[in-house]
Amino acid sequence: MNLDEARETLAFSEYARKRARDDMRRPWLALVLLASLSVVSLSLTDAATSPLGLFWAFAGPLGAGAIALYAYRRNRSSGIDSSPLAYVAITVGLLILAYTAGKIGFAFGVPVIARFGPAFVVAAGYLALAWIERSWMVAAISFALLAVTAAVIGFDLSSQQSKALLFALYGITLLAVGFSMRVGRKQVL
Amino acid sequence: MTHPTSALDDIIHQRVRLGILAVLSESRRADFGYLKEVLEVTAGNLSQHLAILEDAGHIQITKGIEDKRSRTWITVTRKGRAALASEVSTMRALLEGIATAQRA
Repeated sequence: MNLDEARETLAFSEYARKRARDDMRRPWLALVLLASLSVVSLSLTDAATSPLGLFWAFAGPLGAGAIALYAYRRNRSSGIDSSPLAYVAITVGLLILAYTAGKIGFAFGVPVIARFGPAFVVAAGYLALAWIERSWMVAAISFALLAVTAAVIGFDLSSQQSKALLFALYGITLLAVGFSMRVGRKQVL
Repeated sequence: MTHPTSALDDIIHQRVRLGILAVLSESRRADFGYLKEVLEVTAGNLSQHLAILEDAGHIQITKGIEDKRSRTWITVTRKGRAALASEVSTMRALLEGIATAQRA
């Protein structure tokens, strides 16, 4: 066996593996981020009890549905077909953990945990996901969510200010994942 | 005692064939055009490699018509997945062994 050839073969298979992962994962990462962000926004802004809650309640499922449809169509046209099951499981897992954190806060009478626990849990989940996926974008969104949550607590922001920050974060996330998918599409096509 | 290289699989110990299995192991399935583009090979060359892998039972090839054009989807079998994992770990172990011997 030629040593250089072996190294090159191994490196090429790693490149092929990474390329396939990159081509498949982008839409599903968007699904995880946007669906969980919209739900966490409900707890951070008390929007669940206001008309604005309707926006977040619909933005999550509608955004997730649109992304899933886009991912399905893109997979079929690009020629690499992935299963969204792992990412759907991650989204559901994050939401269950966030809900549990909120419930624990209520159960022990700690309103801060009840209100901000879900956001911290989701941000921690994003960090883990960023590490697994080696994604700087997900890591940046995780830190942005932590910063927004810390700002809401630290500066005791009003509901309006919190909503503005979360809308901004949602918008930036939407732009980031959109840009990431656009770059990915150019690579595939 | 057998030589460590005897653990390598002659069928997949080849750049393009290892690349095919690497792509397929990450996905549910990939089509012929995608593999051709990612692996930077000609259609004829890719067909030959796919035939070898299919004969060995490492992949399954499904041909069909989608949106009025022919489409060839390729999936990796359980045997192919296991062979890829074994090959990659064998190659890594060999390369590490050689590197260690060179340092000593």
